[in-house]
Amino acid sequence: MIGRAVANEFAKMRGLRVAAVAGTLIACTAGLSLLTAVTAPAFADPAGERSWEPLLASMALAVPLASPVLLAVLASRQVDIEHRGGGWLLSQTSGITPGRLCRIKFAALGCVVSAATALQSLLLIGAGVLLGVAAPVPVGAWAGYTASVAVVNLVLLALHVLVSARVDNQLVGLGLGVLGSVLAATATGLPPWLAHTFPWGYYALATAADYRDGALVMLAPDHSAVAALGAAGAALFLLATALFDRRED
Amino acid sequence: MPDIVTTDRLAKRYREHPVVHDLDLRIPEGCVYGFLGPNGSGKSTTMKMLLGLVRPSSGEIRIGGRPMRRSTRRELLGGIGSLIETPPGYGHLTGRENMRLVQRLLGLGDGQVARAVRTVRLQDHLDKKVRAYSLGMKQRLGIAMALAREPRLLILDEPTNGLDPAGIEEIRGLLRRLAGDGVTVMVSSHLLGEIDRTATVLGILGGGRLLFQGTRAELFARSAPDVLIDTPDPAYAHSLLSGGFESRLDGTSVRLAGLDDRATAKAVAHLVGAGVDVHGVRRGERSLEDVFMDLTGGGGL
Ligand SMILES: Nc1ncnc2c1ncn2[C@@H]1O[C@H](COP(=O)(O)OP(=O)(O)O)[C@@H](O)[C@H]1O
Ligand SMILES: [Mg+2]
Repeated sequence: MIGRAVANEFAKMRGLRVAAVAGTLIACTAGLSLLTAVTAPAFADPAGERSWEPLLASMALAVPLASPVLLAVLASRQVDIEHRGGGWLLSQTSGITPGRLCRIKFAALGCVVSAATALQSLLLIGAGVLLGVAAPVPVGAWAGYTASVAVVNLVLLALHVLVSARVDNQLVGLGLGVLGSVLAATATGLPPWLAHTFPWGYYALATAADYRDGALVMLAPDHSAVAALGAAGAALFLLATALFDRRED
Repeated sequence: MPDIVTTDRLAKRYREHPVVHDLDLRIPEGCVYGFLGPNGSGKSTTMKMLLGLVRPSSGEIRIGGRPMRRSTRRELLGGIGSLIETPPGYGHLTGRENMRLVQRLLGLGDGQVARAVRTVRLQDHLDKKVRAYSLGMKQRLGIAMALAREPRLLILDEPTNGLDPAGIEEIRGLLRRLAGDGVTVMVSSHLLGEIDRTATVLGILGGGRLLFQGTRAELFARSAPDVLIDTPDPAYAHSLLSGGFESRLDGTSVRLAGLDDRATAKAVAHLVGAGVDVHGVRRGERSLEDVFMDLTGGGGL
């Protein structure tokens, strides 16, 4: 039943331009990263030892800026069709409660978001190779950063699925997404303790390379903080969706 | 005939506000059960409780003899098709894609879906986006989605709401065909005329209470038709009677409502005593609509 319901969510994506939104996400993050990187002085000689670092650093700029708002769009499109199509009741009469439908939607969208997150990193690595970066790819740093971004993306996706389901007016969710993008983009400048206090701040905590006093440095990302966010997000999402099922009018 | 749906003192309160009181529904298997009541009388709430979508505040529901509970809901719903309030359907998908969602979710065969679509006569519109459907087509798609699982019980909440006369006739014919195939249909409406002749059993709800439950004939028998008194001076007769009776002028007669035979004799005696010529006394025709209006107090209809 669950598998078939997830398959149905993919079928519903037709005509919702989910692929286009996911494509925009990839294009924005990879494209913006690449643009920032190639104009950086540290990338002046792509064949240099440390040429992967400006690429990583520019991702830390582009990803927080573009992701939150596009995640909000994805969640909103997939959830709003249930409000408009009488889908909550339809699912309920087939034995799928509203909370479960939210979890199913998260599973389907989560696949899309995870794939997009992986793809944006791979695209950037591909671009780096094409531009002549000769040094070996720092696999650990890239994989760590990509995984951390995926976790933060999924937590925000879950949040937006809940908001879009709970609040009929989709402008609320989209507004939250825009606010999130602003918060995420400014979080790199905040002290880490402050970035820990809201989910958008965790993009900053995952940053693997950044400029400090004008110099490019590799950082030790706080993977355990991101993992904790993921665990807390999963627990809260399960709790909230269980409450949706309890909340019978 | 056993009852496929029974409820015992079923009630629903929202916070402290009662919406449905002590409902004892009896829906015989194989009938078309017309569930009538003005807007806000609790029809949708009752139907949602029958489907386990809203938790009753008290009372018990049995479907096919089995209690409807959280634990049995999934299984019982497998045998119930339903359409509650607005018809479902994803506007950005075609009718066929919508049907396929239902098919995949419930693991239905192609034949079941094709039969459901043919039953509602939607087979020629399946490749259109649901967004472009008329209200009548949306209702039929909703019914096809409900029918695809080949339910024993079909619960339809105001399926004729907002349809034009041809659309209403189409739904009526559909309900009759379904009943002919042995499906029990519970159908609600706030307009008696929309399901009057289709329903074999009626349940009439007013202010959350069941005011009547039985056949049309039983409903007719329940309240006596108006008494019409023909007299050369109906205005004077009316002025004499209006103090003690529910009287109104009706052409060249006076129409008195709610009189039994004794009260009729009293009214006639009163007129004769006052020197009014009485040319004729007869029982008028009553439409089912009048009976329905009497029962529900005419409010909101
Ligand atoms: N979720 C709810 N919360 C509070 N009151 C409700 C809710 N749903 C319905 N009601 C109230 O219950 C009454 C019956 O509503 P409903 O069952 O929709 O009537 P009908 O379908 O006969 O028009 C109405 O007064 C309505 O305002
Ligand atoms: Mg209603």
